[in-house]
Amino acid sequence: MRELTWTPFLALFRREISRFLKVIVQTVITPFVNATLYLMIFGVSLGEQIKLENGLTYMAFLIPGLVMMACLNNSFQNTSSSIISSKFSGDLEDLKVAPISAAQIIWALNLAALVRGLMVGSINFLIGELCYRYMYGEWLAISHPLALIFFLFVGSLAFANLGIMVAFWANTFDQLSAVTGFVLQPLLYLGGVFFSVHSLPAFWQTISLWNPLLYIINGVRFGILGQSDVNPSIALGVTLASFVLLQILAVRSLKRGSFQRW
Amino acid sequence: MNTPHSALPLSVDHVFKDYGTVQALRGVSFDVQRGEVFGLLGPNGAGKTSLISCLVSLENATAGNLKVFGHDVALNPRQAKMNTGWVPQEIINHGFFNILEILTFHAGYYGEKNPKDRVKFLLDRLDLWEHRGKKVKQLSGGMKRRLMIAKALVHKPGLLLLDEPTAGVDVELRTRLWTFVEELKAEGISILLTTHYLEEAERLCDRVAIIHKGKLRAIGKTHGLIEEWSRKRTVLRLTYPIKDLTHPDLVSGAGDEWTFLTKMSKPLGELLTDLKLPNDALKDVQVQEGSLEDVFVKLTQEEEAKK
Repeated sequence: MRELTWTPFLALFRREISRFLKVIVQTVITPFVNATLYLMIFGVSLGEQIKLENGLTYMAFLIPGLVMMACLNNSFQNTSSSIISSKFSGDLEDLKVAPISAAQIIWALNLAALVRGLMVGSINFLIGELCYRYMYGEWLAISHPLALIFFLFVGSLAFANLGIMVAFWANTFDQLSAVTGFVLQPLLYLGGVFFSVHSLPAFWQTISLWNPLLYIINGVRFGILGQSDVNPSIALGVTLASFVLLQILAVRSLKRGSFQRW
Repeated sequence: MNTPHSALPLSVDHVFKDYGTVQALRGVSFDVQRGEVFGLLGPNGAGKTSLISCLVSLENATAGNLKVFGHDVALNPRQAKMNTGWVPQEIINHGFFNILEILTFHAGYYGEKNPKDRVKFLLDRLDLWEHRGKKVKQLSGGMKRRLMIAKALVHKPGLLLLDEPTAGVDVELRTRLWTFVEELKAEGISILLTTHYLEEAERLCDRVAIIHKGKLRAIGKTHGLIEEWSRKRTVLRLTYPIKDLTHPDLVSGAGDEWTFLTKMSKPLGELLTDLKLPNDALKDVQVQEGSLEDVFVKLTQEEEAKK
């Protein structure tokens, strides 16, 4: 019995989930350790000495940023490392040779990346909640669950698309590392994960407003805390626009890029 | 599977493929018939793998038409792909996954909802079932090759493309693979085969095409090509030296040993009649039939000599 709409998509989706679960230490456990360290050092230890303008504790401010950073990083890494390793081993050619469409490939890769991103993000949130309760004796409540879901899902899918685009563009592992190290990480760290954009000098505030990650991260902050450095409506628009643009670029790179092995 | 009954398993029609200024294929045309093993032979760089890359959509032909069971590879790739199985020249590693997972996922890409039985059948047939939990890097060279074949067959294609499937494998495995190819042929699968082992191509292929520098130099039934392009080498050893033996097919000789290259169709008796040797002169006769290798060498080196 053959069915070409859902079966190829599900086969690739299952393969991608299986792939990251096979290296769970690298894909889930390591990010879990990193998140714990960030929360212990910045939230529990240094956080007591940081006072924010809007009356939030630094721990509460930090948790949404870390959750979104985990989702974005892991979504990007899942698609990019899957494609790059398949280019290396040669099985990327299988996807070109099989009757599986570009849309099926993109969505199977993206949704598996979303699952990984949300898994790691959820672990970060859980650790954050435990730290918050330890420090303040109460749980951190979620103010706008629908907004939180929107920013987590759409932001992660946008970064999964970015991973596909970069992986098809890259011809070496170095090129992928360069994008991660010189573009992605600076944008993430300067996107308001660890600090409020209002704490920056005026010039750097203006520069920061051009960073789309500022809006995606603050969207999640609005979803959890009900407070944000940027207007939530603008954050929603920028997040959605980033997703649409990156989806178009990912489809384009998939159609024009080479599937042949390195 | 939508395969028009009247359509040829493979039709290659004036196909060109350029890589920048390099022309890898220059107007190649041929067909593969149902249940046929068709050999595509040529030296390295002749264009064999370029053609196969175009057939499996890894590359786009610059011009010309490629059809699989009547489905145009460029215009209707899904149907063409559903009918094509491909065994690449190089082994694919698949990193994290074991044999069972590789085949199950691969069958899924072709829309097979429940491929368990098919996967088991292929693994049994290719002696891989007991290794189903192993990753590719844990397999021997022969097992890796058999896995590639199982992958290519998991969706029951009508056309199988074998791109040098025996490159770098030992004699025993080669023999087993060729036996398997004969079994597939008997089941009605059409096969396009590229190989450097010309003796095996001669034994296995119903028809062959010889490609050189992107152009087909000859195409036809394997034995027909041998008849047409190769010569029979006949060495006569005499009981006593003869000085002045003459014949249009004489290539070398002196005294008591003379060598002739005759048409494959020319009987030995006719040669001996032409020579009018005395009855007591003939001591021994050695005849070496022409081979596909002779045809290959003649056709691929002929052009070089013309330059």
